[in-house]
Amino acid sequence: MPLYILVLWACSALLQLITLILLFANGSFRKLPFFTMYVALNLCQVAFLVFVYSTWGSESEKGRALAWYSECVTLLAQALATTEILKVTLRPYQGIWGLAWRALAFTSALVVLIVALATYGDWGVAGWFELNRGYHLTFAAAVIACLLLFRYYSVQVPDAYKRILGGFCLYSCTEILIHTVLQSLGKKWFDAYQPIWQSSTMLSFIVVLSIWVAALWKPLPIEAQQAAPPSDSIDPSDSVYQRLSPEINERLRELNEKLLRLWKLEARPQ
Amino acid sequence: MNLPLLLLFGFAVLLMLLLAWVLRDPREFAQPDVDLGYAEDLDRRHVTYFPQVRQAMAAEDSAFLASRASQALTHRVRRERRKIALAYLACLRGDFLKLWRLARVIASMAPQLGAAQELERLQLGLAFSWRYEMIRMKFFLGFAPLPELGSLSKVVSRLSIRLETAMKDLGERAALAAKLASSMDGRGLDTP
Repeated sequence: MPLYILVLWACSALLQLITLILLFANGSFRKLPFFTMYVALNLCQVAFLVFVYSTWGSESEKGRALAWYSECVTLLAQALATTEILKVTLRPYQGIWGLAWRALAFTSALVVLIVALATYGDWGVAGWFELNRGYHLTFAAAVIACLLLFRYYSVQVPDAYKRILGGFCLYSCTEILIHTVLQSLGKKWFDAYQPIWQSSTMLSFIVVLSIWVAALWKPLPIEAQQAAPPSDSIDPSDSVYQRLSPEINERLRELNEKLLRLWKLEARPQ
Repeated sequence: MNLPLLLLFGFAVLLMLLLAWVLRDPREFAQPDVDLGYAEDLDRRHVTYFPQVRQAMAAEDSAFLASRASQALTHRVRRERRKIALAYLACLRGDFLKLWRLARVIASMAPQLGAAQELERLQLGLAFSWRYEMIRMKFFLGFAPLPELGSLSKVVSRLSIRLETAMKDLGERAALAAKLASSMDGRGLDTP
């Protein structure tokens, strides 16, 4: 394996470690357990790949198959981490969340269909690459559809979450571009372009990790939720009040803020 | 590069552009200054000026003017009245956009959103934009599409009434919640 790829690998592992440390140091792992799991799995994948490549070599059939299997696990964790962030962001907006998951399902199904049609007949040549690109295409389209929904309803997404989601999407988009450009150079040359593919993929992941480190540098925003008193100290009607009152207050405050923001936006001179 | 690859490449570029647009902070492009005088003006709906605009653009009015005044003056008056009608149309669009955004904000706070309702609202926005552009084009071509302008004004009026009803409902529910809360053990609802 060329030296520059090893250097990129080391940089990526270091940044993943910093991200993980930040998640634990800020206590953000409690808020985003799946995202923490994703970063930890990525770090484990680095160790696993070092073991696989040193045992079977990076060019062997078995080594490659094992590497792709490990990628499947991290991609699944990526999907879970993203869904978690979307759910945390949309917690106060249950109506939008109901619509968002339907939009996610619809967009994903549509993109899977497009990918299947576009790559029909090419499975024997570079099946893993096609699967990987198909996943990233579906993932990026679904997340961007959700972000568009956020914008449409003027949902305020905390900056840190925006950066994490943006990082995921950026990585997926660059993966699609890299795969497509390399594939356009000729399928039989896939092996020849392996180092370029590896280095460009890792470089884009390093950029994404840097964005995440910047996003997680400060603790994640605290949700405005009031703690309810112990249930045995109050009667049932009081408990309903204790539960509903902060929710109603929160809703009214939020609506008030939104209307004020809208008012300010509309009141600007045209 | 064959067609599927070209499509994939284009799709990826489109996704990247969309991502950049969607992550852009909308406040960056909003002007921070708030003119209170203008803000007070927003309470007045421009749709109330439709009778005057209709009168100004009426064919009888133009015919009467043409029979009494010189051709140059008639042309000038027509041009100026068309400008007024276009300004009214632009204000109508402003009213609609404001109400449309308000509707989205209210919808975002709802505990349940119907996909059909949301699509209907999106459709309403698109239909309004289409009709607005058609009317504007007709005005530029020298026609006076008064029935179309009237129906567009009615759309804004109806939306305004629907929103006012929704806001009233929301207010009543909030008041009821406050009343319920204050009746329990003398604890007041700590509204902001």
